[in-house]
Order: sequence, then structure tokens, then C-alpha cells
Amino acid sequence: MMDKPTWNSTLKAFLYLLPALLILIVFNIYPIIKSFLMSFYTEYDFYNDIVYKYGLSNFSDILNDPNFIKAVINTTVFVIGVVPISIITSLAIAVMLNSKVKGLSFFRTIYFLPFVTSVVAVAIVWSWIFHSDYGLLNYFLGWFGIDPIQWLTDPTYSMPALIILSVWKGLGFNIIIFLAGLQNINRQYYLAAQVDGASAWHRFLSVTLPLLSPTMFFISIISIINAFKVFDEIFALFNGTAGPANSTLTVVYYVYQKFYEEWEFGLASAAAFVLFIIVFLFTLIQLSLGKKFVHYQ
Amino acid sequence: MVRSALSRTTVYILLSLGAVLMLLPFVWMISTSLKAPNEVMAMPPVWVPTEWKFENFTEAMKVAPFDRYFINSVIVTLVSTIGELLTTILAAYAFSRLNFYGRDIVFAILLGTMMVPSEVLLIPNFVTLSNLGWVDTYSALIVPWTASVFAIFLLRQYFLGIPKELSFAAKVDGCSEFKFLWYVMAPLAKPALITVALLKVINSWNAFLWPIIVTNSQELRTLPVGLSAFTTEAGIKYELLMAASSMVIFPMLILFFIMQKYIVAGVARTGLKG
Amino acid sequence: MDVRIENVTMEFQNTVAVNSLSTTIRNGEMVSLLGPSGCGKSTTLMLLAGLYKPTCGNIYFGEKNVTNIDAEKREIGMVFQNYALYPHLSVLKNIMFPLRMQKVPKREAKDRAMEMARLVQIGHLVDRKPGQLSGGQQQRVAIARALVKKPNLLLLDEPLSNLDARLRLEMREEIRRIQQEVGITAIFVTHDQEEALSISDRVMLMKDGVLQQDSIPQEMYRKPINSFAAAFIGNPPINFLLARKTEQAGNYELVNSSQIIKLPGYLNQQKIQIGLRPENLFLTDKDNALLTGEVIHLETIGRDTLIRVQIEDVTIRALIDPSIPINVGDQCHLGIEQDHVHYFDTENGSNLERGNSYDGQANMEQYA
Repeated sequence: MMDKPTWNSTLKAFLYLLPALLILIVFNIYPIIKSFLMSFYTEYDFYNDIVYKYGLSNFSDILNDPNFIKAVINTTVFVIGVVPISIITSLAIAVMLNSKVKGLSFFRTIYFLPFVTSVVAVAIVWSWIFHSDYGLLNYFLGWFGIDPIQWLTDPTYSMPALIILSVWKGLGFNIIIFLAGLQNINRQYYLAAQVDGASAWHRFLSVTLPLLSPTMFFISIISIINAFKVFDEIFALFNGTAGPANSTLTVVYYVYQKFYEEWEFGLASAAAFVLFIIVFLFTLIQLSLGKKFVHYQ
Repeated sequence: MVRSALSRTTVYILLSLGAVLMLLPFVWMISTSLKAPNEVMAMPPVWVPTEWKFENFTEAMKVAPFDRYFINSVIVTLVSTIGELLTTILAAYAFSRLNFYGRDIVFAILLGTMMVPSEVLLIPNFVTLSNLGWVDTYSALIVPWTASVFAIFLLRQYFLGIPKELSFAAKVDGCSEFKFLWYVMAPLAKPALITVALLKVINSWNAFLWPIIVTNSQELRTLPVGLSAFTTEAGIKYELLMAASSMVIFPMLILFFIMQKYIVAGVARTGLKG
Repeated sequence: MDVRIENVTMEFQNTVAVNSLSTTIRNGEMVSLLGPSGCGKSTTLMLLAGLYKPTCGNIYFGEKNVTNIDAEKREIGMVFQNYALYPHLSVLKNIMFPLRMQKVPKREAKDRAMEMARLVQIGHLVDRKPGQLSGGQQQRVAIARALVKKPNLLLLDEPLSNLDARLRLEMREEIRRIQQEVGITAIFVTHDQEEALSISDRVMLMKDGVLQQDSIPQEMYRKPINSFAAAFIGNPPINFLLARKTEQAGNYELVNSSQIIKLPGYLNQQKIQIGLRPENLFLTDKDNALLTGEVIHLETIGRDTLIRVQIEDVTIRALIDPSIPINVGDQCHLGIEQDHVHYFDTENGSNLERGNSYDGQANMEQYA
């Protein structure tokens, strides 16, 4: 079965691969190349698929577009806002869940619920919670004497609103992965540390955190990559806009606007390409550093 | 002991508080969806509706054809999941059990594509679909999603763990390779297949950006697209919006409660792989 | 059905796993393929099964050349070392599997599977999954599955090596019983010489892909064709001594020792390797002794006493009658029947005994 490859076995293998490869080549591999090429189309007739001119002007155009700069800044702010909060919170919850609490699966189920739900649907639910007059959030804040906040219409608060929703949505995923990582740590390390007289907090610092670093690292990169690609939340939360005064315009949203609303395929492709470069860089970091960390344990 | 009992209590309080925060939006959604309009806007909020307005759901269905959206979502989810399972089983078998020229290169290229965010593929795929004349068809919603590198990778790993002697035994028993894949490998890989299928169902059911781009007509809207459109159609009737949101969310919640074990295991595995 | 192997060679990348193997296995015979790991015995089995295709040579089942026929069409049964039962199927379904593949109707398949399950004495376990069975029970299922389609040939690949010592003995007898009851031609791969000698009608000993000796078990023990066969068969292992010819005809001097031994006149080598089986040696008096030395170690295992005797720089083992009192430190004289002594060429290891100049093939004809 695992004999040397022959032309016969190759033919057979490609028959098995044919359905998957057909789909993947047409809808995954070809578009990657095409997308790269399209970012150089400066004059393009979409209806007849004719390119009149190639050039770098798409890239210079988007780099000179204040909206694109804004999108990059907004995305960065979003990443910086979501990733640390989400990781620290989910790590804390995972550690608590891992401390032999009763009802582990009950809590895990609840924290994980948002993961399986439609972003669009929960964003609509949250837009109701964020409602400035009748929303739950402002009602609770009222208990502490805080005046109603225009979450969805004030450009200052739209980004925090988006961050709250995203943290809530993504917490369960991180918790599950942290829990798996924690359960992978050999109990003997804890026993050893305990015998050595380390307190619970010290055990966390000197055993849990270092041994959890591969998981931590994986979650950080995945969270960063996913945060860079945020779109559905914004679309649903702000009713098909990029927030008041474009205050939550992100890179993917910019791509969507250029592509779907303005029909600027070249510009959209160039912006998508920039997104790809960003994500690619983080993936490379993950792969290279990840190898180092994996040997850690 | 007193100290640890105390910290134990703190842990439970914190976890419960967190759980309440996680559940609150769902509770609020359900509560609102069953309220009369005057209670929706009440301040302080009414938690339990005085009168349970199940009509809100039928009302929402009158404004927009959610039954149609629901059927569309079911069709798209089912067909793309079944399609993905089939292409995945075949491809994973080739990568795990057959030796052929170019195997490692093809596999490496496929893994490489996982680095590319799907948003990047949006524009060229749209162009391809319009060239095929598939824009605004079920094919556009389904076909591009009937193969997944991630699923192939996951299943290949699982297949590699199945002892080679089984395939020898099956051959000697008079079983052809294809039958072996069908009657032995696939049933043995059931846990992995269920995980792949469930993650696919969740993604497919909740997909939004792709369906709004490739469909225009109302008849082809899936639930999330329909719901998004509904926000303008329903105006500011939050009880209807919440009823509609519930209709989108509930099927996945039910699926999750039934298949929780597999979904959690699948997500945990993606983490350990990285 | 006779199975004929003709000059079969199997090459992997750079190694020759089986080198120009030829033999014939008679209908109803149980043959063991014996040898150390990597000797090509399992590869030979895979070739017979059709799971490997030979680089050259031919395999015949009866008159039919099956060399290029795939495993699924060879109508053979096979039992694997790790049993290779389908974990997701019940015992009954496992046994039915080959029949279902032949499109035997479900009812009939079920009846035949049940009958086979009873033959291997697992009739009461048919509803279980393989994971719920002990190793011995799994082995029985594997045998039933291999036999249910009434194959012409049964192949067993180290079927006993995953079992514990006691069960191994029991299953060994079981396999023999079932094989004889069904009357099927069977080929049994093992690295355990005791297993091979006890279970089979004939043993084929292999080394480095080459068939060394092909004979009935007793023959292999009594007349090893070369020093490898002599060393591989027998427990405790045979003693080898090197001897050098002296001036005086028929006298040889042990290397690393000054003892002189007398050997038959037809041997005319300068150097010679002598093989003495521990169980053939016995304590005797000085006049009848072949060797004399000091007992340096003594242990009683069951009904035998094993001693190690130091003869200057050489140590040899002997199994002796435990009723004779002997102690560590004693001088002892060891004797042996003349026809129990084996002589080997020091260069190629071949047996120098007169009348032993046969090759494996000729020997096979001799007893057949």
C-alpha cells in the first residue's frame, strides 16, 4: 500500500483528490493569485473581464486615502482593545474552571454559547442592549450614576461597544483552548512546586504560565489574526454602516466598501492584499516562534 | 482550610457572575421577543413579560419570509456539509494511505493556502462566479464551500492513526480499496468526521459576508442575511427583531446542547495542534 | 491446493528482502516460516497474500499463476500479529465481513459466521466489540474471519507473539487443531523456533532473505544444514567450539584450550567448527569424555540441571541429569554420542557431516 510511487498510484491518488482539488484550485488557489494580480489592475472592465492598464497606482491610492489610513488605525485599535482583554479574562476563567470546580461542564457550556451563534444575530441583540434610551447597559450604568451613553451613535463610544461585543463573543473559544492546554500540564509539576513550598500564586507564575506559553502563544496569534478580519459584527451592530463618522471602519470593511459599494476592484484588491500581508506576517511569526515554544514542554 | 474555603467561594462567585454576563444577552433577547411593545420600551426594564406575546414570531414572519430563509439556510448548510465530508474523506485517504508523485508538494501548497484570509479571496471568487453565471444562485452559496483544507488536514491526521494492518486484512477479505474507505476507514473516523461536520454546520449556518455578496434576491437569502435586511424592514420594533434573532440563534444552540462533546473536543484539538 | 513459489525475489529500495526463493507447499500441509526479524519471512507471507508483488519470480496456487493477482482476488485467509479486527464492528460482523464482500446473502453469511465462531469456540461472544475481548479471544475471531470464506490457503503472521506465555501454548494447539479439522493448507510466520517446531509439518528457516533449510522439524533439529540453523534451533543454544587439526590424524586441538579431541577420519579441514547441543552432553568418566573442565555455574530449571563448564578459555553449557550430585568447582567429564556431534565449515558454516551435502530442496523431496 505504501509502496514506491508509480504513475499508476499517482493516477489513482489524483482521482481520489479530484473533487477536493477542483474546488480548492478554483475557489482557493486561483483567487489567491488572481487577487494578487488584480491589485495591479488600474483600469479594469469587470463586465467583460478586460484589463486595460496595470500599475502600482492602486497601492499609492489607498495609502493616500485617509479612509484607508483610518481603517488601518481603527483595526489596530480594535486589535489592541480586544486581544489583551479577551486573553486575560479567558485565562482567568479557564484557570478557575480547572481548579476542580463542581459544574465544570455547566460553566463551560455557558461560556461557550456565543461561539456557536450567528454574529449577525448577537450583534443585533447587542445593538438593543446598547440602545441609548432603553438599553440594558445604560440602565445598569445608571445604578452607578453614569449618564446614558450614545454607544452606537457617538464616534467616541462606538469602538468600545464593538470591543465589548467581540470580547463577549470570543471568550468561549479561548477558554476551551486554554482549558485543553491546562489539562495537558502534568500534575506532577504542581505537586513538585507544592512540596517546594510555592504558594498558589507562585505556582501559577512558575508552573502554569511557562508551561501554558505554547497555548498562550497560539491564542494570541489566532486572536490577532481574527481581530484583523472583523466585519460581520460591525455590519450588524451599525446597521450596514462603518459606525458613526466611520469610527469603526476596519480594513475588511474598507475592502467591502471599495468592492461592493463602489465597484473599485483594483483598490479593493490592493487593500485585501495589504490585509493578507499583515495576516501573513503574524502567521509567519506564529510558525517560526511556535516551533521554539513547542519544544518547551 | 478556612482560607481555601473562602477562595473556593470567591471562585464560584466570580464564575457565576461571568456566567450571568454571558447569558444576559440571550435572556434579554428571549424576554424582549415575548413582550408587548409598551413593555419593550419600559424603564426600568421588565424582565418577565406580563403577557407572553408569542405572536411576535408570527408577526416577524409576516414582515419577512423567515420560513424561506430558514429553508435556504438548511439547504445551504446541509449540502455544503455533505459535500465537504465527501471531498474530505476522499482527499484525506489519498494523503494518508497512497504514495504518489507530488504528494508532499500538493499537501504543502494546500496547507499554505490556510494562511490566506478568506476575505482576500472574495473579489476574484465573485468575478469567477459571475463568469460562471452563478451569482444569485444556490450554487454560489454552496459549491465554493464544499472542500476545506482544514478538514482534510484534520481527517488525514486521524486516518494516519488507523493501523495499516486493517487495510491488509480488508484486502485479504476481498474488500476493494474504495469499499475499505467506505466500510472501514470512514466509520472508524466517525469522531473526527462528526467534529468536522459540526464545525462546518456552525460556520455555514452563521456565514454572512459571502452570502450578502453573492446573492441579491430575497428568495435566496439565508437567515443571517435575511435578519440583517430585517433590521431596516422591521424599523425599530425590537420585539420583532429579537424574535427574528432568536430564530437564527436557536437551531445552533440546540445543536450545541446535543453535540457539545464533539464541538468542544474539535475546538480543543485545533488549539493543541498549533 | 499446492502452493508453488518459483525463484521469487523481492527488492525494496536498496535491500533484497527475499532472494530467489523456491519451494512447494503441499495441500493440507502446515508450514512454518522461521527466522530472525528482517529475514524476509513476513515479506514472503505478504507476497503469498498478494499484498506485495514480487520483483521477479512466480507464485502458483495449484496450476494457476497468481503472481499478478491482487490480494482481494486470491481467496486466501490471513491472520495478523495484532489481529487487525475492525474495531467498529461486532465479532459477528467481523467474521461476516469477508462473506459480505463476496456478496453472500446476509442470512447465509450469518449462519456461516456463527458456525465458524463455534468452531473457534467464541460462539457466545459474537455480539461483543473486539475491544471487549481478551487477546486470545481476539485471536480466535481473527482466525474465524480468515477461515469463514473457506479459503484455499491460510496465512498466519506471527499470530501468537502478542499473547502471554500460557495463552500462547494454548492457542498454538488450537491453531493446529483448527487447521487439521478444516484441512487447510497453512503458512505460519514466527521468530520462535519452539513454536515452529511444535506446530508445523515442515519448517522453512530463512536468513537475510535466503532460504537456509527446508525440512521437517526433527530433521532441522537433528541435522542442521549449517551453523546458522544449528544456532537458531534449540534452547539453550548449541555450543560452538573451534578446533584445529594436529599432526596426528583424526586428532584436533580446541582453540583457546589445549584439549585434544578425536574426530571422524573423513573430515579433512585445517580448522573446524564443532557444534554440541547442551541436551546431548552427559556426565561420564574420564575415559569416555570428550571434554573435561570445571563447573563454574549450576542452576536447576524444572526437570533439568544446566551447568556451565569452563575448559580453559572456553565455556560450554550442558543439560545434565539432576540426580547426579555435582557442585560448582567440581571437575567434570562431558561425553556425547558420536552422531550427535555436528561439524561445520569455518568459512561458510555448512555442515560437513557425511551424507549432509544435500540442499534444502533435495531434502524436501527426501521425506515427501
